[in-house]
Amino acid sequence: MNVSSLITMLFTDYTLRTVALGAAVLGIVSGALGSFALLRRQSLLGDAISHAALPGVVLAFLLTRSKAPLVLVAGAMIAGWLATLLFMAIIRSTRIKEDSALAFVLSTFFGLGLALLTFTQRLPDSRQAGLEHFLFGQAAALMVEDVLTMSLLGGLALILLGVFWKEFKLLSFDRDFGASLGFPMAALDVLLTTLLVTAIVIGLQAVGVVLMSALIIAPAAAARQWTDRLGVMTALSALFGALSGLSGALISSLVPGFSTGPTVVLCASALVLFSLLLAPNRGLIWNGLRQRRSRLKLQAPESSVLKISTGLPGPAGGEAQGGGYEHL
Amino acid sequence: MQVKPTTAVEVNDLTVAYRDQAVLWDVDLTIPEGSLTAIVGPNGAGKSTLLKTILGLLKPAAGHVLIYGKPYTQQRRLVGYVPQRGSVDWDFPTTVEDVVMMGLYGRLGWIRRPGRRERKLALKALEKVGMLEYAGRQISQLSGGQQQRVFLARALAQDARIYFMDEPFQGVDATTERAIVALLHGLRQSGKTVVVVHHDLQTVPEYFDRVTLLNVQCIASGPVAEVFNEENLRRTYGGRIAFFHQPGFSANGKGGELPVPAGVPAVPAAAGENGRNGR
Repeated sequence: MNVSSLITMLFTDYTLRTVALGAAVLGIVSGALGSFALLRRQSLLGDAISHAALPGVVLAFLLTRSKAPLVLVAGAMIAGWLATLLFMAIIRSTRIKEDSALAFVLSTFFGLGLALLTFTQRLPDSRQAGLEHFLFGQAAALMVEDVLTMSLLGGLALILLGVFWKEFKLLSFDRDFGASLGFPMAALDVLLTTLLVTAIVIGLQAVGVVLMSALIIAPAAAARQWTDRLGVMTALSALFGALSGLSGALISSLVPGFSTGPTVVLCASALVLFSLLLAPNRGLIWNGLRQRRSRLKLQAPESSVLKISTGLPGPAGGEAQGGGYEHL
Repeated sequence: MQVKPTTAVEVNDLTVAYRDQAVLWDVDLTIPEGSLTAIVGPNGAGKSTLLKTILGLLKPAAGHVLIYGKPYTQQRRLVGYVPQRGSVDWDFPTTVEDVVMMGLYGRLGWIRRPGRRERKLALKALEKVGMLEYAGRQISQLSGGQQQRVFLARALAQDARIYFMDEPFQGVDATTERAIVALLHGLRQSGKTVVVVHHDLQTVPEYFDRVTLLNVQCIASGPVAEVFNEENLRRTYGGRIAFFHQPGFSANGKGGELPVPAGVPAVPAAAGENGRNGR
């Protein structure tokens, strides 16, 4: 199949259009919130949350016998939140360190989820079919209803991110200073984490609990390579997320046997690899070239002398100590 | 205009405990308006804890703090804060100007974004610390001294009456140290009150006019000429301090941190139990 016919299909084929739309929405939301998760060093928490959502999904089905997207997402959200609370409680009240606490929470919840899942599959209830897709994700099974739920929740999360942008930036950069200004940092932390949980749970059906965190981490990591501005990084991360979600979902729905989760992750990883190597300033290739250039410069003695005498235009000490404060 | 109260900060019976350990024990402290105060003491003496408790970042087990006669929550706009430079990630994707504008977030309040007015104020604050030309710079490209000046500029942008600074001299070059001292003296001249957690005992008499010697308890507090003496330093640092009997004191020649003697923390630790029971 060539590219042009694929693009035509994107607009004519109902399933493909739904899948593409869903994956793109998902990528935008997880990419944008992922950039904050990355900067706040919460990437692993994202992984724990997505694994921990599995028992929530299965329990929500067992209790309601419904597979309505809102029901399952609500279950996932509650479980994801409980896992986060448990994680925080463990760190606060025991001597267990963060990494161990995360591993413990992740494996416990995921184990419970798997146990419930196999139990449910034995039930003589045919409605349970499809729950197992939450493991590795199946974008091809996305329905319009699912995409609507994703867009609604994701859109809400993005709006809140925009509204509290300044406060979230303060929280991520300098929490204590923000608290000294009077902003309720704990509440903002809860809100931002809730948004992260939202971004994760809306992607579970398409990408799966096992690999959803990659869609949180990878686009943000790739975006960080290209810019030094938080706003640009967040937008770029959303774009990368959409790109990997879209391409992953398309490939997996066109190639039989390819699960969506792994395919999306591979697409995102390709973006990360590309960015790590090629991004200006931070990219490895760029860095290597720069080092080579400066080595060559230093080897030429006359030019190095020139560099020392003209370079380093630091703020003049005299000017600073001369009581620059007088203007107050 | 109402009559100016002369006491800027009043700390009463302040006790702060971390788990079972008292970090601060029954600290009483009065800081007059317009003074330049150093808080000195060994590692683990609770210097940063005192600052953070005054700023409401930590909850005391007992006691209270008043800023111009009222609790901190009512006086936020009067207070500027310079946290330790190492407390943030300097690889955060943001610019110098952006960080300085954070000093204005409190006045902006919820949701409102900084605009042209805030930008102008930020640039003015940067000018005061000699960093104007760095306004657009990504913060990861700054040296330690420049980072410290950015934090100072952010506090200046707060336009406060009292400034609390946590180790502003830590790991900065000589140029920045001189710039900070000039800035502190400028602040005092314009009637501001400045409280600085400080490490280098040698420079205390030169830079500050008041000093608080702290080691879990407040050992002494007052004008440098009155309380910055050998006996008080010995009581603060537990006797393991080498004195040169010359004008001005020197800690260990390098002005570095001194080890806490083993005997000292035992007393307040036991006292901490009482503190938790509400005394």
